[in-house]
Amino acid sequence: MDFRFSEEQEFFRNQVRDAVDRLVRPRIAEIDRRAEFPRDLWDEFAGLGYFGLRHPAAHGGLDADTVTSMIFFEELARGSCGFFMAVTVQMLMGTYFVGRFGSPAIRQRVLEPAIRGEKIGAICFTESQSGSDLAGVRTTAVRDGDGWVLHGTKEWITNGPICDFATVLATTDPKAGLKGLSFFLVEDGTPGFARGQKIEKLGARGSVTGEVVLDHVRVPAENLLGEPGKGVTYVTDILNQVRVMTGLAACSIADEALRDAKDYAKRREAFGKPISEYQLIREKFGRCWAKREAARTLLYRVAWMIDAGLECQREAMAAKWVATEMCLEAVDEATRIYAGNGFTPEYPAERFFRDARFLLSGGGTHEVLLDYLGRTYLRQ
Amino acid sequence: MKIVVLVKQVPDPEARVTVGPDGGPAALQVEDRWCTSFFDEVALEAALGLRQRHGGEVVAVTAGGGKAIDALRRALAFGADRVLQIDDPALAGTDGLGVSAALAAFVDRERPDLVLAGRQALDDEAGTVGPAVAERLDWPHAADAVALEVDPAARRARVERTVDGGREVLELPLPALVTAQKGLAVPRVPQVTGVMKAMRAKIDKLDLAALGLSAADVAPRTAVLGYRPPPSRKPVRMVEGDFPENVRTLAALLRDEAKVL
Repeated sequence: MDFRFSEEQEFFRNQVRDAVDRLVRPRIAEIDRRAEFPRDLWDEFAGLGYFGLRHPAAHGGLDADTVTSMIFFEELARGSCGFFMAVTVQMLMGTYFVGRFGSPAIRQRVLEPAIRGEKIGAICFTESQSGSDLAGVRTTAVRDGDGWVLHGTKEWITNGPICDFATVLATTDPKAGLKGLSFFLVEDGTPGFARGQKIEKLGARGSVTGEVVLDHVRVPAENLLGEPGKGVTYVTDILNQVRVMTGLAACSIADEALRDAKDYAKRREAFGKPISEYQLIREKFGRCWAKREAARTLLYRVAWMIDAGLECQREAMAAKWVATEMCLEAVDEATRIYAGNGFTPEYPAERFFRDARFLLSGGGTHEVLLDYLGRTYLRQ
Repeated sequence: MKIVVLVKQVPDPEARVTVGPDGGPAALQVEDRWCTSFFDEVALEAALGLRQRHGGEVVAVTAGGGKAIDALRRALAFGADRVLQIDDPALAGTDGLGVSAALAAFVDRERPDLVLAGRQALDDEAGTVGPAVAERLDWPHAADAVALEVDPAARRARVERTVDGGREVLELPLPALVTAQKGLAVPRVPQVTGVMKAMRAKIDKLDLAALGLSAADVAPRTAVLGYRPPPSRKPVRMVEGDFPENVRTLAALLRDEAKVL
């Protein structure tokens, strides 16, 4: 057993880190303050070609394995959390189904420009009455001659207000529950398709999130992505990756928050010495570092399991939960180390605190994940 | 036109550097974070710009083992045509003059029209290797270039360098060696296609014997006696109290303790 990254993987990590350091990190505070999608940064970053990492070479991608992709996501999350969210939706969920099931014409029209960053994608799961509970999806898709008519409203859609195309989860058989769900491609400009206003968010403010409205939108038959009724099966195929990606973002946010707090703790004096020399402060760093190491090791193990083709749904859920809870603890401790200064945007601690909350619901709320893990554990 | 670029992998500027208590030659401890020396990247970018204008080939070379290979992968990611690592146990612990012997032997073998190097490495900041390679080859050399034009047909290079209060313009016959100052070119952020190609590339290596050298040819002529850390800065002192009393306290401290007023 060898837990080390290869020299090649380390080289790849350093190159991504360099790109993030030079293009993204100088703009973190500005992106957060403006709470707008940084289109110029998007275009510049897309020009580096990373958006195609997970897609096959035949589709214009780079065929990278899961571990390599996760190294990319971990490093990207050291920059702006909002920008990270916009990019990861584009690279995973927003284009995955189009790449896997789209016709050659769709791939040429939608996927290839998306890999180049020219078109922005969104994934539409959530509705007012359903999030992690996919069986509650009420958006319908009804067969109509040689096409389908979609009707419903999607909420909390990352990239929704700016998307050029969306992959929409709708029910093609409302009586079948989870087994009636199917994916459709809907492109901006299709009559009845409307992008809503962005929602004001606590964190991840460089990504824009909002409604996508489908008012009797008619799409051709080829826009059905995959077989009808198999939507949930397809989601499971990519959700493990999304959970590991989210967990590694949690590790990076925690790491950045702790490193920043470390510098502050060494600078800030109380009662005649730097606060880093007090045991209660050192304990915070020791505890959070230990938990981060544990979470990160588990996450990369799951990434390795995905590459090895091993079943890892429960491990991916567990890793996402462990990492995100660790991150919430670390960013909380960072603001405590900053004391009053952790309560003002003059210092970055409060931004880490806000951004970390965004990771809670992605890839399944922790209540849903833990309930599932407990249920399956008891059943065994 | 063939251009050889000399590159070096150095500790990342953000890597933690400490000096052990005895301050001796082995007291330097550097965190395991590395990058290609900034000025070498400037040189590489300038070489790629010349290739774009005049055609030809860019070859990157480094002398050293271990992490040095990443400087060559980085050069491939930038778009270098070929890279080569001079890797030999005798190079460990040598100085700039020793390294210059190995690099000069390689340059002599390649017979390029131009050699570009950074003005200095970001770790030891000695700035000796580039000029020493030129001296060993008996080539003309211009340091700290901020502009460089080459006329391959006339076999001449035109170099601008910053001097106190202005710029000096030099002309050199080729082959020549030029070291790069900040401003000569802006290093790119490599595209992922280049990064992945570099990741998977097999890096060719040569030892000293293959260059016709022995360990004695690269033996150091200088010895490091020790290291001294910079004096530690006093921690930040927060001035307590309400306005305007705190401002009076601050002014008094600046005048009486810091003596800057």
